[in-house]
Amino acid sequence: MSLSARNYWINLVKLLRRERLLRPLVVTYYVTTQCNLNCVYCEDFGARRNAQAETPLPLEDALRVLRVIRDGTDSLIVTGGEPLLYPHIVPLVTRARRELGFHQITLLTNGLLLPQHEAILPHLDRLVISLDTADPDSLSQIIDAPLSTAQEILDHTRTYARRQRQEGYQLIINCVLTPETTSSVQSVLDLCVEHRTLVSFSPQAVHNWPRYDLLVSDAYKALLAQLMALKRRGAPILGSVAYLRTLHDMVPYTCYPTLAPRVMPSGDLVYPCRPIENEGDSHGGRPCNLLEVTSWEQAIELAANAYGPPPRICTSCFQQCFAEPSLMQTRPLSLLRELIGYAPSRQGGVWTHAPG
Amino acid sequence: MERETKTKGFRDSDAPHPVIVVGAGMAGLSVALHLAERGLAPLVLEADPHYPGGRVAGDDVVELNHRGQTWRFRGEHGVHGIWSAYHNLQAMLTRYHIRPMFVPAQEENWTYKRGGRVYVAEAGSAIRHSWVPAPLHYLALFIRPRFLGMLGLRDWLTLPRVWYSLIFALGIDPLREGQTLEGLYLSDFTKGWSPALRAIFAGLSRNFLSAGPEETPLSGFVAFLRFYTLRRRDAWAFSYMPADSGASLIEPMVGKLRELGGVLELDRSVTRLERETNGWRVHWRGNASDETHTALARHVVLATDAPNAEKILRASPDTRTAAADLYWPRAMPTATMRFWFDQPPRAGAEAGIFSGEFVIDNYFWLHRLHNPYVEWHKVTGGSAVEVHLYGRPAMLEEPDAALLTRAIADVNSAFPELRGHLLHQAIRRNDATHTLFSVGPAGRHLGITSPWPGLFCCGDWVRHPSPTFFLERACVTGIEAANAVLRAHHSPTWPLLDGPPPERFARFLEKLMLRGRRARRRRKKAAPP
Repeated sequence: MSLSARNYWINLVKLLRRERLLRPLVVTYYVTTQCNLNCVYCEDFGARRNAQAETPLPLEDALRVLRVIRDGTDSLIVTGGEPLLYPHIVPLVTRARRELGFHQITLLTNGLLLPQHEAILPHLDRLVISLDTADPDSLSQIIDAPLSTAQEILDHTRTYARRQRQEGYQLIINCVLTPETTSSVQSVLDLCVEHRTLVSFSPQAVHNWPRYDLLVSDAYKALLAQLMALKRRGAPILGSVAYLRTLHDMVPYTCYPTLAPRVMPSGDLVYPCRPIENEGDSHGGRPCNLLEVTSWEQAIELAANAYGPPPRICTSCFQQCFAEPSLMQTRPLSLLRELIGYAPSRQGGVWTHAPG
Repeated sequence: MERETKTKGFRDSDAPHPVIVVGAGMAGLSVALHLAERGLAPLVLEADPHYPGGRVAGDDVVELNHRGQTWRFRGEHGVHGIWSAYHNLQAMLTRYHIRPMFVPAQEENWTYKRGGRVYVAEAGSAIRHSWVPAPLHYLALFIRPRFLGMLGLRDWLTLPRVWYSLIFALGIDPLREGQTLEGLYLSDFTKGWSPALRAIFAGLSRNFLSAGPEETPLSGFVAFLRFYTLRRRDAWAFSYMPADSGASLIEPMVGKLRELGGVLELDRSVTRLERETNGWRVHWRGNASDETHTALARHVVLATDAPNAEKILRASPDTRTAAADLYWPRAMPTATMRFWFDQPPRAGAEAGIFSGEFVIDNYFWLHRLHNPYVEWHKVTGGSAVEVHLYGRPAMLEEPDAALLTRAIADVNSAFPELRGHLLHQAIRRNDATHTLFSVGPAGRHLGITSPWPGLFCCGDWVRHPSPTFFLERACVTGIEAANAVLRAHHSPTWPLLDGPPPERFARFLEKLMLRGRRARRRRKKAAPP
């Protein structure tokens, strides 16, 4: 049994004991906050914020960070910014797999630089490409780049979709729903069906909440209902029905942010979650740098001492990457249903969602 | 953050404003923001000389000298957070990029005092994380040993009656149906219940509607119950503001309003309105002088509390007669008290409801919620609690010292470990502005559109089919009032967000009850007189 699967079972016991500090199922490491695109909805790092980007760590230090992460879980998401801009991305991922023994490695990229980093592909379990529409014109507007760049991303998506079996990874399209793209979601779904990739959806967030224009849009509600129906009929949609219903009804869920912690390029652990840390107040922050601790347990202990246990019901985040781990952890029957009932979830393994 | 500077030198003018909004509480600011964003920059008149916000306003700073350091804590009216179903409010804050990172509630205790003995049960998490679907989710309380310890045989015997009443509440939607349930009060609803179960509902009624069971209209209580807890388990999910409500909500809203071209004037107490051919003339005066000023507006939105709206309309020549015949929901005075201690209480919930023999109605441990208090606690190890007193008008007339003594006695009996550790105390009295909500008769209870052209109303006391309450209702009716003005200007209106739907079982029961009521009505009609 993998460490993250074991953590899932241990967490179930912790939940029965009403503990809030759950073990991580997956850790996201932002190897760099630099990006080569400027997606209009990006609230994270985008190219327009490159000047303030954190300096990435040298390879050996980044591996030390990963070593501490590996102590907590064996599932890793490598993201950014654009992670392929990290100068040592290929050796980092290669050694993470070979030396540190990560069981499941996911790379979240915009796909533009993949041809220059193909050596990374055999070491990935899941390759997630952000693609919000299959229409090059709309895509070029979303990523704030020329049409040729949008076309290139679409071409790369198709190319690397074709190489999934050969390289042994699962390609997932990560699609952000915006009022502008709700009508073209079908084109993304068609692309996924055609190329046997999975697709996951998250609503565009403004200040961490679904964008108002989406919430008041009948088309958005209808789309979510349609996605639930399509998923039940076996469409390659990653993300539980429980998550899609949470989005549809905009209801709170019980959040356990330590299930999917974030680590910044410098090795700083974000606690309890990025939205709270972003506020920079007394309820969260960066309690420690993983370079300064020897174990995951020690890092979490420092965090809990600094800021207390994480909150539970928080009505803040509706992006899939934040919501889904908690939904699946607190609803084992839903997870079982995903794994037994829906073919796409089976393909994704225990990971019923794609990171956003 | 601190006191707003008064805008001086506002001159009487005959150039009509497109809109004047009376009141800069949540409703008034919601109207103003939605109008300003559509290009109709309004003039907002607020009676308070220092702080906009009404029941969400900030207040002066309280200073505390402790261990050689001076600590400054801002006061506030006493609203500390929002509920998960406040969709329109959250959407509005998000749209303007001013949504604070709310602090999720972890636990709310129910603290009950009977025969001088204090019982404490963790109630909030049992309700929102219940394993039983709504409306039966309260059953989860009954497997909590501490809750069971409070109940006696009599309580168990009256439980069926309690469930019957709750299911009855599911079958009636006073707001959507316009059901006034005239002459019925919460005390009628809980008649025959055991004292402990009655005390729970009395506590809820005081905490939410600021009145005791004998004064709380049943229509308001049933509507409250439906919105906050009866139809969904997770509706009872509260999030705290990270600082005082003025800093967390109101000041960012005012900043955004000014950015969009709106004007907020403080110390403008509106006294009356006069109809003119091209709109309304608004009369106001400041706190310090009796001199009256006026301004002309094409449209006026009354976004003030019910007693003040009544006062203005009764003083206005064109509305005086009709206003005397209108139905006005009551508003209640409240008091909030803060106590600082040099040590924290034992581990437990960050907030809770008092019931039974307690005088105060609830408490919030601020050092676990508000950033300035969290910092203070980290540095000094001290704690601070805010307690509220609702629904006891006679007691609220007592002097400050007497109220503080009563309150600290209650705090000490609930948290005996803090006896002798008091550092400082402060009291704030709030005028009778807290809405004691009820549904009035159609035609007599003012809605968004008033009987007078160009005059609109909004606020949490206004008649509107939305099931929402308090801040969310103020926001929803504010958006609706803005829409009414926008329609008159042929501008696009703002859509409203639905609240969360009821859980499946609750919806099933709701439908069943509604069908039953309809069948009963039909039978009554068909029966010979």
